Amino acid sequence: MRDSFDAVVIGAGHNGLTLGAYLARSGLDVLVLERRHEEGGGLCTEELTRPGFLHNVHANYHTFVDMAPPLADLEVESHGVTYVRPDVQMASVFDDGTALCVHTDLERTCASIARFDEADAETFRRLYTEAHGFVGLLLGTLMYQPPMSVKELTKALASFGVEGRSEFLSVKLRRESINAFLDRHFSNPKVKAHLAFHAAVCGYANDLPGLAMSFPLLVGKIDNWNLCIGGSHRLAHALWRDMAQHGGVMISDADVRSIMVEDGRAVGVVLADGTQITARRLVASTVDVEQTFLELLAPDAFPSELRERIAGGAIAHQPWSLFSVHLALSEVPRYEAAQFDPDVDRAWVVNLGYASTEQLDDDWSAARAGRVPKMAHPNAAVNSLYDPTDAPEGCATGLLRQIAPFSLVGSGPGGWDGLARWYGRHCIDAWARFAPNVSGSVIDWVPYTPADIPRKLRNMVQGDWMMGEVSLENMLDRRPLPELSQYRTPVEGLYMAGSTQHPHGFVTFAPAYNALSVIAEDLGLEKWWYDV
Amino acid sequence: MPDVYTTEWYEAVRDAMNASAADLPDLPDGSFVVAIEIVGDGISPYVGTEGRRFLVRIDAGRCSWWRETLDRAEERREAGGPVDYRFTGPATVFDELAAGIGDPIDAALRGIINVRGDVRFLLRHADHVKALLDAYTTRVATTWPRGRPPYDGSPGGSQGVLPGAKGESASA
Repeated sequence: MRDSFDAVVIGAGHNGLTLGAYLARSGLDVLVLERRHEEGGGLCTEELTRPGFLHNVHANYHTFVDMAPPLADLEVESHGVTYVRPDVQMASVFDDGTALCVHTDLERTCASIARFDEADAETFRRLYTEAHGFVGLLLGTLMYQPPMSVKELTKALASFGVEGRSEFLSVKLRRESINAFLDRHFSNPKVKAHLAFHAAVCGYANDLPGLAMSFPLLVGKIDNWNLCIGGSHRLAHALWRDMAQHGGVMISDADVRSIMVEDGRAVGVVLADGTQITARRLVASTVDVEQTFLELLAPDAFPSELRERIAGGAIAHQPWSLFSVHLALSEVPRYEAAQFDPDVDRAWVVNLGYASTEQLDDDWSAARAGRVPKMAHPNAAVNSLYDPTDAPEGCATGLLRQIAPFSLVGSGPGGWDGLARWYGRHCIDAWARFAPNVSGSVIDWVPYTPADIPRKLRNMVQGDWMMGEVSLENMLDRRPLPELSQYRTPVEGLYMAGSTQHPHGFVTFAPAYNALSVIAEDLGLEKWWYDV
Repeated sequence: MPDVYTTEWYEAVRDAMNASAADLPDLPDGSFVVAIEIVGDGISPYVGTEGRRFLVRIDAGRCSWWRETLDRAEERREAGGPVDYRFTGPATVFDELAAGIGDPIDAALRGIINVRGDVRFLLRHADHVKALLDAYTTRVATTWPRGRPPYDGSPGGSQGVLPGAKGESASA
């Protein structure tokens, strides 16, 4: 193996590969190092249950794929990626046999909401229409650019008089929870529950003050959830292929043990086997802040004050995680609520029973307190409804996800090992309450607990799949810490480019894309990808 | 009073912008070039189906020059490289803005005018941007020899396309 490259990227998740591919296309000699046996990070698809059943272990939902610049810039379609946008995106089924569906067709969504509350349906139509007007502007400004501050944003909103022009945007959103936003604009508890559920699947807790600021943007993607045909890992493979075609190299089973720093500048890395690799122009870390600053960098390589803050727990992690059950099914689920709305049987993702925002609040509270929600309300995704390649003919894969704590009160994260089968069965039973045929169609199933998350992906500290809390205090230029928020670090030539950075986790590519922009400025690279 | 989209009109817009900027305390440093792409919509009598496009260069908060261009290749040559911002929208909407009966902020919020570029700079200098927009929309006495917007047959006209429109203004 060569021992000198222009750029060394630590971590071959989608952000590491994206950054590597752009830099390779820019003519740099790039090396991406991955601790695991394969590229992808959260884009990980495995036959967890039985051969032929493809389970997305982490990232299952790809949103805004039509608006994320890297997918076009890196030509992932030409590398074998195909997305499908299910026409029935999400649904909620309720104990009384009713169901609410969100379609890609706004009229059908409004008709579904109108069965619960006609005024709410019209409010949703206006909110959706308004959100779709500015979603492109918001994405271009807030997601695919290094972050501004909340203060700057609210000042600009006030200067432009946005409040007087918008029914839903307001400077006071930065103090409001999603619950408060929903209470102000909607009436029906089930409609509010579904919209809060959607926010929860996005990683936004509906009871946290300040997250109402992001809610209109979340509504802008409510019908833009996409499934990667053949499993999410296809995307990782495509990114790797693109990088490789432009001369970049990815090495798996390469455990970086330290970042070499000389005269305050990052100059390379050392692997676990002692191999030294020189980085002539930059090192980028896409792994967590704690690992980067407390393990990979020597204590004297950066200010001690920053080290003490990180060691003291300054990095905010989501105080909740996800408990998953991956299932091999002999048939797709059939919901009793299909008698009310037949479309629910074609819904990709289904909320199993949250009928009020208060029920969601209870689960957030339980998870934050280290307790497992007693009455499971998992959400169920059946990719096979839209991807015939992910299960043997006639069969289906299933994915249940339940809000859950990482560390259990009394037994810590390790307590999950004894609880996993029981709680997994409880979640399956919760599904069968709404889709009775599930009980007889389970061929096999595998639980995947919050404690399993960092066992597989080390950088998802404390089961934090967003790699940093989604809260007002950890947003925009405060994420993950103010001095790290612009992708540069106190070590010259070392950049942070993973999901610890703005905006957050999820398959947005934005942390890498924004870090790329900063790197291009520092290195004087032509921004061939940036054409207004 | 200049006819819309004539040399005299562009220069009047430039002068109005600079007069507005002169009243502001802190003008942003640096230079940037804005491309305005007016898409022909078959309604505006001033813009054919091929559309019109022009560049505006801002130096230290003031408009240095404007140039009408034929296509992106010429645009790039005139700008000396890639432009910094691009505003794209239908001719009817741009005509309404020039006539002072459209609201540019509203048009951007509703996605009727597509804004590309690093909008953070525009947000950070909101007062300056507002002053420039105000000059464009209300400070130039424009004449409309082939009819004044809103036009018959406009898809909503000032009442529908731009609900925030201000109605008749002093820019007639």
